[in-house]
Amino acid sequence: MRKLDQLCERSTRSLAQRTSRRSLLASLGQLLTGAALLPLLPMDRAGRARAAEAAPRADSPESCEYWKYCAIDGFLCSCCGGTSASCPPGTAPSPISWIGTCHNAADGRDYIVSYNDCCGKSSCATCDCTRNEGEKPIYRPSRNNDLNWCMANADVNYHCTVSVILGVAEK
Amino acid sequence: MLCAALSWPLLAARVLATPPPLPAEHLTVERLPPRSPHWVYVFDYMFDNEIDARVYLYDGDSYRRLGQIGAGFYSSLNLSPDGGTTAVASTYFARGSRGARTDVVEFTDNATLTVTHEILLPSKRALSALGLFNLSYSADGHLLYAAYMTPAASFGVLDPAAGTVLGEVDTAGCVLVIPSGHYRVSSLCESGRVLTVTLDAQGHELARAMSEPFFDADQDPVFVQGIPTTRGNVFLSFLGEVHQIDFSAAPPEFAAPWSLVSPAEKGHWRPGAYQVGAVHRELGRLYVPMHEGGEGTHKDGGTEIWVYDLASHRRLARWPLKVHGLSRVIAVQVSQDPAPILFAATETSQLAVFDALTGRLRHIEKHVAQSPWMLLNP
Repeated sequence: MRKLDQLCERSTRSLAQRTSRRSLLASLGQLLTGAALLPLLPMDRAGRARAAEAAPRADSPESCEYWKYCAIDGFLCSCCGGTSASCPPGTAPSPISWIGTCHNAADGRDYIVSYNDCCGKSSCATCDCTRNEGEKPIYRPSRNNDLNWCMANADVNYHCTVSVILGVAEK
Repeated sequence: MLCAALSWPLLAARVLATPPPLPAEHLTVERLPPRSPHWVYVFDYMFDNEIDARVYLYDGDSYRRLGQIGAGFYSSLNLSPDGGTTAVASTYFARGSRGARTDVVEFTDNATLTVTHEILLPSKRALSALGLFNLSYSADGHLLYAAYMTPAASFGVLDPAAGTVLGEVDTAGCVLVIPSGHYRVSSLCESGRVLTVTLDAQGHELARAMSEPFFDADQDPVFVQGIPTTRGNVFLSFLGEVHQIDFSAAPPEFAAPWSLVSPAEKGHWRPGAYQVGAVHRELGRLYVPMHEGGEGTHKDGGTEIWVYDLASHRRLARWPLKVHGLSRVIAVQVSQDPAPILFAATETSQLAVFDALTGRLRHIEKHVAQSPWMLLNP
């Protein structure tokens, strides 16, 4: 088993050295377009979401692996009565947000995504998901996911987070 | 008849052997023992129920929880320089999870764990849970600084003895309240510079100065979780650069950065956590949770703790964690006594207690909190 691990590690490292991440993702995206029904192996992701129960498939907005969530940190509104781009009933969207740039393997494009918090109720407490691609500390607030972005709402209580496509990222 | 005769001695023996009843008990309130350098304050962010964060006082010798301090919503906290007081800046809603917002700093006497007094704040407290520097004391304990963000950035200057807000200082977009001297407050800026504001004893701004950039937020940002040293703070970068800043000097002095990782390790091994390092100030030892990972893994916890000598920049040890059944370490703290212990909280809420000199594991608390994101000690 250890030898198998080492073999896999060596081949993965070798592939990583020969391939840029973007080109790899683009190629994989083309390869996998229309192949979303392939079974997905369980992943050992880092961070709080790693402790999540058996996750739905990565093409599901209820999965922390969903492509739009590449810089999210919080509870997925999709699991809380909303969707990936709508707040649950009775909550209020934050007018301010942080942004991320996420790659959609299905069409090979990068998108600017706005992460808005949904406010006015206490923690949704399900589908906790933290991913930090391009995330920066709070001295760059527009890229920071530690702040409570309900901070400018009338009711600053944090409930969950959505991810809203703003547009295709310029290369 | 025969049975009765035989059972009498047995019954008598049982009556004689029955112990006396337990005495009546008197309900009391436990008092804390004298303060120990091996105590640690465990900040439980309570992510699944954020309006009810709390701080647990835990003893690293008896391995017992000694008590609790309430911490409300999205709180920031710090200990007074003499260790006698815990200050918690928090937000409460009038009806539990909704209603009018009240921002407040609450002061708890660490000898009794009772709240002694509070200061009402304007409703602009920075709602960010990470790091020591959203609420901090001046070195003499006379002033307390509270970070504000609306998202416009500023900080409040408070008088903890009088229980009053003295004023507010604009920070031109820079964040955090890093205290030094009498009375300077430094903040980190997106440009990689440090803004330092000098105040008088009444909290009025006397002067401000901006440093040259010491990091690049695009190429290699620094964690905001600065680690106090004897004369300032250590800031670690995402890729493992160590920036030692002497804040006792005016203006602050920046030592040449050095790296936690060798050229071969760079980009593979990196620091990552919610509380990303601890320093034993007298020994000059730095403890950092390290993991293998790429960009975007800066909040992944450490699979090992690496130990460094701050003076020589030499790595002294690597302590793997999995061999002890520990999950990734997301917060570390070290006691400051001559026989120090290292506390390490994990992503599955374990609290490990190590001998900080040898790395010997002394104890694992299986579930210390729901979200143990920061550890404090006097």
